[in-house]
Amino acid sequence: MSATARPWRDLVAVAELERGWVTRVDLGARSLAVYDTPTGIHVSLALCNHGGADLCDGFFDGHVIECPLHQGAFDVRDGRPVSAPATRPMKLFETRVRDGMVQIRA
Amino acid sequence: MTKTVVTPLTQALAEGKLSRAELRALMARSDRPALRRLALWLLVLAGTTTLIALSWNSWLIWPAMFLHGIVLVHHFSLQHECVHYTVFRTRWLNDLVGQICGLIIILPHRFFRYEHCDHHTYTQLTGEDPEMIGMPASLADYLWYLSAIPYWRTKLTELLRHAAGRLSPAEQRFIPKVEHDAVRRDARVMLSIYAALFLGMAATGWWGLLWFWLVPLALGEPVMRAIRMTEHVGRPTVAQMHENTRTSLVSWPWRFLCWNMNYHAEHHYVASVPFHALPRLHERLKDHIHVEPGGYLGAHRDILRQLFDRRDTA
Repeated sequence: MSATARPWRDLVAVAELERGWVTRVDLGARSLAVYDTPTGIHVSLALCNHGGADLCDGFFDGHVIECPLHQGAFDVRDGRPVSAPATRPMKLFETRVRDGMVQIRA
Repeated sequence: MTKTVVTPLTQALAEGKLSRAELRALMARSDRPALRRLALWLLVLAGTTTLIALSWNSWLIWPAMFLHGIVLVHHFSLQHECVHYTVFRTRWLNDLVGQICGLIIILPHRFFRYEHCDHHTYTQLTGEDPEMIGMPASLADYLWYLSAIPYWRTKLTELLRHAAGRLSPAEQRFIPKVEHDAVRRDARVMLSIYAALFLGMAATGWWGLLWFWLVPLALGEPVMRAIRMTEHVGRPTVAQMHENTRTSLVSWPWRFLCWNMNYHAEHHYVASVPFHALPRLHERLKDHIHVEPGGYLGAHRDILRQLFDRRDTA
């Protein structure tokens, strides 16, 4: 099954998100980071792909999430690394909001 | 799949030493505190530079250069904060100021960033922490380290090695392959700038940079070595952050110079907290970390006590 054919799944109510910040949500065995940004909601895997630290404990500023361990950073809109030691894009999920609920394709 | 790493921060949150709301407030960034501090920093630098100029034809130039050197070597502290992006909220300002500091103290910023990341991953773990300063085996070892001679030997060799495109096996582990060329380029650019400065001095016959920069830097570096020792030396070589790192309570001038990095255990707990919020983080964590109330001198008394105790029991 291709990624785009995956069904939408409810993740978390928008009302439960920390405004302008990052919220950790578990989906099955996976920890996800849900970002409330000025331009919408984005979702990534919660663990930094450099050192494995939990991005949800990091500093979040606008569209940039910074890892709490080494301060490597990613743009949550496209996953692109913006600061070393992050060098690889982070995994993002297609995200939408329906009836006050954040949904992702997963 | 990425392996989960439990950071000291995640642990502190889980144990209730910090709440998420407190953490968010502590991590808040702003350019203003750093710009204010930097303005004062430049005034202090101007002051110590003036002292050298005023004492040019007298023996007083040596204490003046030492004083200036103490300020110069503290560009390490500012660069260190820039490595963590905790000086300015504007990220590129951290990169710019970090590069300038690196040029002043002969420490390429990108390389230091990667090395320092590994230091935070493997703090005080023998054979893994690339910045680990070992517990001296004797008083002679202790004094030899404080002379800064081994430091300069290591750093200058490292710079030349990187310019030649050679990375040690440890460096290859902590610097991603895509950055190897950039580390080589940085070292070459840095050496080219220094070469240009020397050629400029030779061409003009004005050797002032030696007396306003390099000699003071060499005179001041033992002070920075002494300060760096207080951070981890003599603490247990274990992974637990509340054990392996020492916070030293020092007076305002030292806190100003080191950008509050005397709150070192707090910094290791939550490296995303900017320098200006570390005193507040200290109030929150002081009962959970190792604090040396006697400051830098107290830390050295502790190191020397351990050194002599070890010798007596050997």
